Amino acid sequence: MFEELDDYRNKIREFALKEFTEEVAAEYDRKESYPDYLRKKSLSLGIVDMQNPAKVLIAIEELCRVDAGLGIALTTPYFGSEVIMLFGNDKQKEILNDVYRGKYILGLGVTEPSGGSDVAALKTTAKKQGNKYILNGSKMFITNGAIADYLVILARTSEDSNPHHGLSTFLLNTKSKGFSATKLEDKLGVRATNTAELQFNNIELSEDDLIGEEGKGFYYIMMFFNISRIYVAAQSIGIARGAFDKIKSYIKENNIKDEDSMFQLSDVGTRIEASIQMTYNAASYLFEFKPKPELTSMAKAYSSETAVFAAEEAMEILGDRSLYEDVQRIFRNAKIMEIWEGTSEIEKLVIARYILKGE
Amino acid sequence: MEEENNILRETVAEFCEKNLDEKKIETDGIDKKLTQLLAEQGFLGCAIPDKYSGSGLDETSYEIILEEIAKYSPTVAMRIFVLNSMYYPAVNGTAAEETLKDASTGKINIAVDFINKKTGNESVSGKIKGTLKNILGTDADKLVVFNDGTSLVSGPFKSESRDFMGFRGLKFGDLFLDNSVQVLDKSNRLSEIMEKAYGPASAIALGMIASALQKAIDYTNVRKAFGSQLRDFEPVSFRLARFRSTEVILRNSLYGKVDPYYTFNFAMEHLVEIARYSVNTHGGYGYFKDFGVEKFYRDAIVMKSIFYGTEELRKLTDHVYSEKINFI
Repeated sequence: MFEELDDYRNKIREFALKEFTEEVAAEYDRKESYPDYLRKKSLSLGIVDMQNPAKVLIAIEELCRVDAGLGIALTTPYFGSEVIMLFGNDKQKEILNDVYRGKYILGLGVTEPSGGSDVAALKTTAKKQGNKYILNGSKMFITNGAIADYLVILARTSEDSNPHHGLSTFLLNTKSKGFSATKLEDKLGVRATNTAELQFNNIELSEDDLIGEEGKGFYYIMMFFNISRIYVAAQSIGIARGAFDKIKSYIKENNIKDEDSMFQLSDVGTRIEASIQMTYNAASYLFEFKPKPELTSMAKAYSSETAVFAAEEAMEILGDRSLYEDVQRIFRNAKIMEIWEGTSEIEKLVIARYILKGE
Repeated sequence: MEEENNILRETVAEFCEKNLDEKKIETDGIDKKLTQLLAEQGFLGCAIPDKYSGSGLDETSYEIILEEIAKYSPTVAMRIFVLNSMYYPAVNGTAAEETLKDASTGKINIAVDFINKKTGNESVSGKIKGTLKNILGTDADKLVVFNDGTSLVSGPFKSESRDFMGFRGLKFGDLFLDNSVQVLDKSNRLSEIMEKAYGPASAIALGMIASALQKAIDYTNVRKAFGSQLRDFEPVSFRLARFRSTEVILRNSLYGKVDPYYTFNFAMEHLVEIARYSVNTHGGYGYFKDFGVEKFYRDAIVMKSIFYGTEELRKLTDHVYSEKINFI
């Protein structure tokens, strides 16, 4: 499936090398601002094709290989779109089409200040009043939070002894009265992406804003994580390959031949190859609508740790040269891979649960 | 002696708590006021002899100061380290040692070009000309460079500072030189000087490890997930407990009689891993400057990249193979 898309991969690589110059990447990293002109340019050139998931994966990988901050900024305006695609109503799908056309930016609000990986513990509520829902609460670390036109929001609509029940997803227009977003600054990496804290103060939502069925939000989000974790695995592979590119160039340019450096090079290369195989394997099940969460979590956990490993190895192999060139940005970008869309610890719990379930 | 060390440790910690705001230092740098304070307390030139207005402290006291300061501000600890462990041995015994008084009292800023292993600029006829790239401490009045020899370059310098990943309070960038030079030694002494600084460098690493780890322990003690405190998840608490063992062993190694080669190797091997895991335990919060843990991860990788590479591993290996063999 992926080999057939080599031409597409080359096209993305060319785009990234042309547009993500060191000057542009360093500027957006320093300014910590979102590169909207690049989003528009990437749309006009068909860089991200949300109708073809294999292409999405390749685009994420190749863009992040050159610069993860810009690469993620260009591939997250559609973040959360799969929830609408799978469960949304016609009106919501119309909005989604406008997201794909570049008219709107989308985001997904799940994480809260008091509960990162513990999704079911969320405190945001959407209480039914007549034919409306009243949204109150807050969200934390929301990608695109301060630039999104629409956000897919997970909120509690009813109390239930099972915390997984009673949660629902909504499509929120960020122009709604009672909505506010505060951009969070001073991130370690991926600084071209927008991250915000959100506040919902008595926001009125209509029944048409509900995505899918009331009370099934937790399951929709878990299904979404099966997809987004593959995306993070692809981001991680991109970062690891970017670090690997730097290591290879450095070794060749400096004619380094010592065995210790060869072993380090070999270790990074081996881990990247394993990450690619795991991710593409997990993705192939997903694309046939037969997701295997344990394979997805294995791919996400392993690939994200590989990104950090490769970035640290690049820092150490390049030594003093790594400190003031793009390698240090790769290092800073890599760390978030082990944190977002489920920390490595969460992924390991998922993996263990499914392994025992299969016995 | 132990009691004296404990008193010193408490005094330094109290000073740091009151005066070192690392977030501010990372943004604004080490200003004149803070430099003066460090000098008045005797921390700035702590290992430099009294005759040069230093505190003349023994190595253990010096390392305690570095460890405690690094817990709060790796940047400030690095500035003290550069003066005491790099600048001082480079100028000591030369005519340039007269600069030590002003350096110990904070009247002048000093820098040592220890990132570039060998600069491309050659000093000819007492002058040095050209661009010296990637200097940590571009606000220096005096700079030690390592060419074919070891030289002291006198300011003022034209400089261009830019963003740097680690030790952000020390200005980083390029110096544009057209300055007079005082040759300190005909050989390049950087490697020898760094080797003698293994203990103090390990002390900074230890302070960073201790602080990053304590932040992780404190956070996992209060943060709840899935109805329990994070500390109740044994893979997390087991790992933090193992790291505490590492910290304790490193401290005993540093202040005990362990060969500095092994202490330094041990510190460098664990520094990044512990700083990284501290970020992990904080989840999304760890990725933001406000929580004060990502800086340890940045500073840790910078320190390891500068101080610990193939060259140091070869030194360690030579050291191991040159040890007396007793059993053959």
